[in-house]
Amino acid sequence: MTGFKLHFATIFVLSWRNLWRNHRRTYIMLGAISVGVWAMIFMTALMRGMVDDMLDEGIRNLPGHIQIQHPDFLDDPSVVNSIDEPDGELLVALNQAGAKRWATRIKLPAVIASERESRGINLVGVEPDAEADISGIPEQISAGRFIESNQDQGLVIGAKLAQRLETRLGKRVVVMSQDPDNNISERGFRIVGIYRAKMPGMEEFNVYAARDTLQQLLKIEGRVSQIIIVDENFRDIDILYQKIRQSIPASLEVMPWYEIDTYLAAMFNMMDGFVLVWVVIIFLALSFGLVNTLVMAIFERVREIGLIQALGMRPALIVYQILLESLLLLLIGLGIGNGLAILTVKPLESGLDISMVAEGMAMMGASSTLYPSLTLYDMLMANGVVIILGILTSILPAWRAAKMDPVQALNTT
Amino acid sequence: MLDRFTQKNPAFSLAGLLLLALLGLALPIQASEVDTLNPRDLIRAAMEHWRGVTSYSEMTMTVHRSEWQRSFSMQAWTEGDKLSLVRVTEPKRDAGNGTLVRDQSMWTFSPKINRILKVPSSMMNQSWMGSDFSNKDISKSTDIIDQYDHRLLKTETRDNHLQYTIESIPHEEAAVVWGKEILVIRDDFVMLRQEFWDQDDILVKEMNTTAIEFMDGRSIASALRMQKLETPDEWTEMTVDAIDFDIEMNSNQFTLSNLRNPRQ
Repeated sequence: MTGFKLHFATIFVLSWRNLWRNHRRTYIMLGAISVGVWAMIFMTALMRGMVDDMLDEGIRNLPGHIQIQHPDFLDDPSVVNSIDEPDGELLVALNQAGAKRWATRIKLPAVIASERESRGINLVGVEPDAEADISGIPEQISAGRFIESNQDQGLVIGAKLAQRLETRLGKRVVVMSQDPDNNISERGFRIVGIYRAKMPGMEEFNVYAARDTLQQLLKIEGRVSQIIIVDENFRDIDILYQKIRQSIPASLEVMPWYEIDTYLAAMFNMMDGFVLVWVVIIFLALSFGLVNTLVMAIFERVREIGLIQALGMRPALIVYQILLESLLLLLIGLGIGNGLAILTVKPLESGLDISMVAEGMAMMGASSTLYPSLTLYDMLMANGVVIILGILTSILPAWRAAKMDPVQALNTT
Repeated sequence: MLDRFTQKNPAFSLAGLLLLALLGLALPIQASEVDTLNPRDLIRAAMEHWRGVTSYSEMTMTVHRSEWQRSFSMQAWTEGDKLSLVRVTEPKRDAGNGTLVRDQSMWTFSPKINRILKVPSSMMNQSWMGSDFSNKDISKSTDIIDQYDHRLLKTETRDNHLQYTIESIPHEEAAVVWGKEILVIRDDFVMLRQEFWDQDDILVKEMNTTAIEFMDGRSIASALRMQKLETPDEWTEMTVDAIDFDIEMNSNQFTLSNLRNPRQ
């Protein structure tokens, strides 16, 4: 044991001093590793931020983390496929499931018309109290107010839609749809609020009214299209989902967000794999520099290695010494890289304005402000990959150094 | 620029249009009635008058644009204000397209696809065949009594007729986009003019009666022109070529099967 300690102390000193023998080369290599690690972590944080934003926005548009609806509603979102407002057992189950919030809503395709234009929209009848938690629209009102009660007679439309319809706050528009018997239901609504969505597409599409008002208009008193359930965090809703699934009647369909929008789910699941691929690609570029540095360091010291071997140092210790040299190099590089990454990401966490490319981002479903998200998982992943793969790529030069014939090595000039 | 659906089915707002033309059938009101006249009664009287009246007419519609102009000939049958059937006869490529209106519901038939379609609410707002008539404010003309507040603006005498100018403001929840409409109606109930104003008091479009004729015993507006104010070289004109009132109507006249298989 003491022998190993002594050996370790010796090779540590040797490695450390060797590292600074050609300090210029070491600085260059440290620079390469630092920038590489910084790029891994910084870019990952940006991507995470973007994807989180897309997920958030996507889930707000679904909306909700769990939806309960008629089994045919997702295929045919018409007023025919509506369900009864929850009562009795279902009501108790919903209240006891422990969700952060739940609410009913009506959702159906409709047509909105002003004096000059008419457009197809998605008409949403909401219970306004819950809407801040569900779609977040009440916080995005840019003029006027949001729906205030279930019986509110007003209408809230997006800024872009108002522009398209050549109308504005305070004016009347006509909303048309069909009741369950396929008769036309229509009435005038006064615009009481204008909202601005993160995604302009949604602004043109979703129009909000009070739930009970729409029930009257569509002659579906006591019926709704969906029950929306939101929890604190969309990532862990499985327990809540199982609980609710067990307590609802078989005639209703209950779905978590990742089943309703499989694209969002795929994005969510692919992200971890994506981060790994990104980290490995940067590492591959780095590894050439690392191997080259070590190989050069060994070439320069052929005589020296031959000498210490001739003096009796075991080949294994030579391997350890070179691996340790590589490890020290990597650790210092990682330290600087991580530090740089934290220093650059932290100030940006309050939001990075990328409105220059907002149009393209909106198409992807992300907003024009990017919030980089630095996660421990991603940092550990980057550091782990660099250390493990770095050591692995160093084994070959180290092993070659240990295999040198001391006689030949000593005679090399 | 034309919507495919409406191009194939050029008829459905014709029904409503015809009703407007029919507003003209009435006996002159007695002078004593005029004194106590309120505008709501005036409109109601016009409508009462043709309730239960049957008619068969032949019409021509001309859609004018700066680059082109197109005309359609059509036949129309009506019974009261709830039932109407319109069928295109010319030009050949549109011949046979038909529309049936029963109360609030509307169906169209196109021989090319041999299908009857129920017109969904989403299509009610579309302009019809690229014309300046929007389906909605024309096919809904009977709603004008209940969904608006009416006010008599002025009464004047012209061409030996009293002329009433009525301002109609839609109720808060009425399914009407206009801020107000202004109607000019003659004492024999010929509608002379209808103006559509937006909610900022800007005139958006107007419909003018350009000819009044005495046909089959009644005065009717035999030529109507609809015009949007923003596009002066675009208009749509509707003329009544011939009309017969109080005709014998088959009991299956306003059925889907008659829409598909004409028996006239």
